[in-house]
Amino acid sequence: MTNSRSIGKILLLLGRLALAGIFLVAAYAKLKPQAPVPWSMGSMRVSLSMFAMQVDSYQLLPPSLVSPAAHFLPPFELFIGLWLLSGIALRYAGLLTSALLAVFFGVMVRSYFLGLEINCGCFGPGERLGPLTLLRDGSLLALALAVTIGAFLIHRRRAADSVPANTAQAAVS
Amino acid sequence: MLVLALVPAGFAQTSNHAQTKTVSSKQHSKPVAAQALPAPMKTFGVKSAPINMEVFSDYQCPACRAFFENTLRYMITDYVASGKVYLVHRDFPLPMHPYSMDAARWANAAARIGRFETVDAALFDNQDKWTKDGSMEQYISAALGPADFKRVQKIVSGCLTQTSGSTAAAQTAHSCDLDPFIQQDVALGKQVPVNSTPTIVITYKGQRYPPMSGIFTWPIMKQYLDSLMAQ
Repeated sequence: MTNSRSIGKILLLLGRLALAGIFLVAAYAKLKPQAPVPWSMGSMRVSLSMFAMQVDSYQLLPPSLVSPAAHFLPPFELFIGLWLLSGIALRYAGLLTSALLAVFFGVMVRSYFLGLEINCGCFGPGERLGPLTLLRDGSLLALALAVTIGAFLIHRRRAADSVPANTAQAAVS
Repeated sequence: MLVLALVPAGFAQTSNHAQTKTVSSKQHSKPVAAQALPAPMKTFGVKSAPINMEVFSDYQCPACRAFFENTLRYMITDYVASGKVYLVHRDFPLPMHPYSMDAARWANAAARIGRFETVDAALFDNQDKWTKDGSMEQYISAALGPADFKRVQKIVSGCLTQTSGSTAAAQTAHSCDLDPFIQQDVALGKQVPVNSTPTIVITYKGQRYPPMSGIFTWPIMKQYLDSLMAQ
């Protein structure tokens, strides 16, 4: 019983760290200079504008919303990556991650079946949207869901374990 | 603490990766056009413009048409006309489109007499009509006028692979001197690499940015070009 719990905790830790790493890399790839130029506010603006073009190519949002979405997503991915890395309130971090990945996956599936020949934009420019990117994002979504379920189960178990102890303490006093 | 320790480590690792990429991308920092043998003919604007944009396009591809009509047309009247962008058309006829090679031949023939812009627009404007049977000639003729059409027709004669309407020039291609220009564009596209059309490649201050495929709206592309020039 203790052994399976330890394995579960280790798997949860590995899943959480993998997701955190992926989100941090995704944010970095979108913010880094896209040409051999030094990092600066200007280079980040260019990178975000380039990402906005990729968001635009999905033909989902009106032009007025494309730029705000493109400027919001990379910092938000950075935030999620750091949150997952910290492990604080993991079940909520997992829920948010799963929801975001479900949106990404849904948008990608839609674009693929509409026949849009575009760049994925997932890890910066240059990667074509295709079956492999769908498989990868689908796997990430499955991982995020597993981490979320695992985090909820562990939280519930901890809560259940602490109830009898508290009850016993109350009885003694 | 763990977060504070891991984040800089992660960034250090990724910046090393970025440096490795920088070295390899320096080898390709010249505009694709600069690697071409003959001077490009299918261009818009002045060569000294700060931004060089190459568009790999197929005349029969609906996405290329949408990109031309909704984005490039605005860019040509705005940023190309004001000397901010030098636009280079690159032919990338896809094998699945039976008439796109002939369309590219007409456009290249028109470029020989300095009327590329007219034929380029005529082909995209009427794409939905001529792609049914390959009858692009009438639209090119209407756009060029009789005198220039005769000159272009003479250049393109013997080059066309599709019989379109009453075309006297439509014969099977044997030795067409327009084809090397198209094949050269295709070869440049494969170097990029172009996986779909339209694909754009932007070079600014000698730095080439990653290629992007798809349809982009003009307001969003304008923001990108502005951010490049403000960098």
